[in-house]
Amino acid sequence: MNETAAIELASKALDLARASGAQSAEASVSIARRFHAEARENVVARLEGSTGKSLFIRIFRDGRKSTLSTSDFSADGLRDAVVRAVEQADLVSPDEYAGLPDEVAEAGVRLDLNDERIAARDGAEKIEEALALERLIRAADSRIVNSSGSHYTDAVAVTAMANSTGFAAAYTWTRAGRSTGPVALDGEVKRIAQYGTAARSLADLEALDSVATTAVRRAVDLFGARKPPTMRVPVIFERDVAAALLDDIFAAVSGANVAVGNSWLSGRVGSRIGSDLVTVVDDGRVPGGLGTSPFDGEGVATRRTPVFDRGVLQTFLYDTYYARKLGAASTGNSNGGGVGPSNFYLESGSMSLDELIAATPQGVLVMDTIGFATEHASGTYSRGARGFFIEGGEIAYPIDEFTVAGQYTEMLAGIDAIANDLRFDAPVVSPSFRIAEMTVSGN
Amino acid sequence: MLDRDLLSRLLGRALQHGGEFADVFCERRHSVAYRLQDGRIHDASYGVTLGVGIRVIAGESAGYAYSDDLSERALLEAAAAASLIARNSPAGTERSVELRPERVASAYDGARDEALDAAKYVAMLERADASARRYDPHVVAVNAHVSDEIQEVWIATSDGRIVEDRRPLVTLGVQVVATDKKERGSGYVGDGGRVALDFFDRETPEALASEAARIATVNLAAIPAPAGEMAMIVGAGGGGVLLHEAVGHGLESDFNRRGTSLYSGRVGERVASELVTIYDDGNLREERGSLNVDDEGVPGQHKVLVENGVLLGYMQDRLNARLMGVESTGSGRRQSFRFSPQPRMCNTYMPNGDRSFDEILASTERGIYAKSFAGGQVEIAKGDFVFMVGEGYLVEKGKITAPVRNATIIGNGPEAMMKVVAVGNDARLARRHYTCGKGGQYVPVGVGMPSVKIASITVGGTQHE
Repeated sequence: MNETAAIELASKALDLARASGAQSAEASVSIARRFHAEARENVVARLEGSTGKSLFIRIFRDGRKSTLSTSDFSADGLRDAVVRAVEQADLVSPDEYAGLPDEVAEAGVRLDLNDERIAARDGAEKIEEALALERLIRAADSRIVNSSGSHYTDAVAVTAMANSTGFAAAYTWTRAGRSTGPVALDGEVKRIAQYGTAARSLADLEALDSVATTAVRRAVDLFGARKPPTMRVPVIFERDVAAALLDDIFAAVSGANVAVGNSWLSGRVGSRIGSDLVTVVDDGRVPGGLGTSPFDGEGVATRRTPVFDRGVLQTFLYDTYYARKLGAASTGNSNGGGVGPSNFYLESGSMSLDELIAATPQGVLVMDTIGFATEHASGTYSRGARGFFIEGGEIAYPIDEFTVAGQYTEMLAGIDAIANDLRFDAPVVSPSFRIAEMTVSGN
Repeated sequence: MLDRDLLSRLLGRALQHGGEFADVFCERRHSVAYRLQDGRIHDASYGVTLGVGIRVIAGESAGYAYSDDLSERALLEAAAAASLIARNSPAGTERSVELRPERVASAYDGARDEALDAAKYVAMLERADASARRYDPHVVAVNAHVSDEIQEVWIATSDGRIVEDRRPLVTLGVQVVATDKKERGSGYVGDGGRVALDFFDRETPEALASEAARIATVNLAAIPAPAGEMAMIVGAGGGGVLLHEAVGHGLESDFNRRGTSLYSGRVGERVASELVTIYDDGNLREERGSLNVDDEGVPGQHKVLVENGVLLGYMQDRLNARLMGVESTGSGRRQSFRFSPQPRMCNTYMPNGDRSFDEILASTERGIYAKSFAGGQVEIAKGDFVFMVGEGYLVEKGKITAPVRNATIIGNGPEAMMKVVAVGNDARLARRHYTCGKGGQYVPVGVGMPSVKIASITVGGTQHE
């Protein structure tokens, strides 16, 4: 991977845009070499390896914005596409807020995002890792009779950006992941668990045997699960499903949603929303974080932004456009086309998940959810779920085929305990936490 | 896109170490899109996807590599990378593959006119905006988008075929938010398909936008949804999301060949009430999920998945069909040249039953009427699925009463389908805006259904009596 080549391609695209009539423009280039090995039993079921390029350009003309994304890098193809994108701007309404950022990141900021060991890894070694994970899940428990596959993936990539104010910068990043899907047979019922982990460096990656045992435990611990009764109870969201709630909270604080009326938090900056325990941060500089980068999707320096401080909503998150529109400053959260998270997380508490369970006389521990349609305008949350019923501070029995539902206003105010198990294995992450009362719907 | 001689050499290189099958998937896609926000055209975008994916199948294994660099050197390198999957197989010499082009009939000759006045897109968005705002004074935000693309694919296979397809896809989507200062409600409606833009002379932007505004104002007045088990009437059209999640995914052949689906090994068995018949069809005119040929070069087909409650077959791609000893059903699809194919649904629907909607409603003492759906998800091993209500109502004593806020419904595939106690005579296909995700790949699909009553299912609201 070559940062200079990526910057050159971005600069070339920028020149084409200006020659075609753009008054200002910005080009982002990503060049990535991706690898994926999937093993199932003792067979390498899938082996994929490719190097791909993508180019994304934003063009501004008289306050009108047009974008281009292309994988056609032939001289004619690229020129024609840029001309077309510039022409399309004529149909866009002039918008006083559209344009490049006022201030871009300093060039040359080096964050530790590149583990050279990943690029240097031998293909056979990576394939063996997928095969080993597959062996480990089957050896871990005799009830594991099948799997949906065990995977090793990695990427070595360069992200480059240039804009017409003279900004030009690039960084190299890596990512590696391990995941598996053991299937256990519980009588007639197949129980599958999907568990995986990812990191910027091999050293930060959860060990193979730990990935295997966690995945297997999630499949077999659900044996005999039944549908719970419908009830109002305290609900603990385990780390991974807690992160999915943070996704919803991000959507509600995204300036892009706030600006179009699609957020239940509209107009509530400065208000107490959550309990005292709720401190939520977006931080683009978390060491080793998968959402860490020196600059965002329009070249603005990433930073640390407290979003909720002890329950009080401090700010929304913005790119340049939505910041201008809503009278704020960019928080370095452009994802190219709109507003995206960097490392967005709920701050950890002090007790372990086990201690949190022990401190819960009666409740539900949610290990997995399915579904995704939170209604962001009203903040209505409802998901399919599986997990455990807790009685007397102990896991009593596994439960599945139920839903858990609530209103986000009540849910954030109801967070009454947070565990200490936060880790940065995705851009949006959370420690496990408990909500004082939600509706569990079953029988 | 590539000349026949080069395609032939790429297939030869791909099979250099052995393997039973190879294909080269060439893709060129052009798309335009416009978005409206705050009553103004917010931005325009143009997209070009150009590249080639090369695959080798050797037994249960598949090697895949793609390239957006169309030089001969880069493509041969990609073919060599894909060939590595077969590097341990016994027989392996580079061989030549003779290719014959084949023609296929088209289910969507409506195609974008390249010379079209782009102002038409803008006019559609502006008409939608005005219509939604006219509908109700509580409408505070209208976000609309239109996208129009042509995906051209050329697929060369090592059994000597070259086929091509040219697939148009248009979508107009309108999202409306209404508020009365205290509550907020939103509604989304989208339509389009493998059609030309004159489709929207029939299904006007005004009609779509006022429908979205109507749903937003209904949701504004909605009460919290109930919690617990009750009867459910699934609305005609978009109710097909139920089939897609509760049954469809579980019948994709990758899960069944591997034995990870709860429907594995159950062909010929009863998996649903005898009122239930389910088709998946790649040939329906203009539908989003229709394909003249799939992404492995196999013509789209009409498949009977379930007939009178009995499971008849799976949806097959080439790799899994070969391993299961059957033919592909034209269900091999991929998001783009960057992805290897998977068995996927096209347009999944249930034909008419014999009950009127009014009869079904009158027979329901207490339950929920889920008129439209915002989407769904399934876990295929045990078969638990959810779907999310976009517009729903309480049913009390045989009558539709209060609208309820968005809720997730959860059930188990075969259990829920066994509890189908009435099928309406009002079957129709849903408005065309659904996209299905699987293994990180997104493809357009269609769904359809008559009104259907399920005797009992768990509704995931907050109101527990």
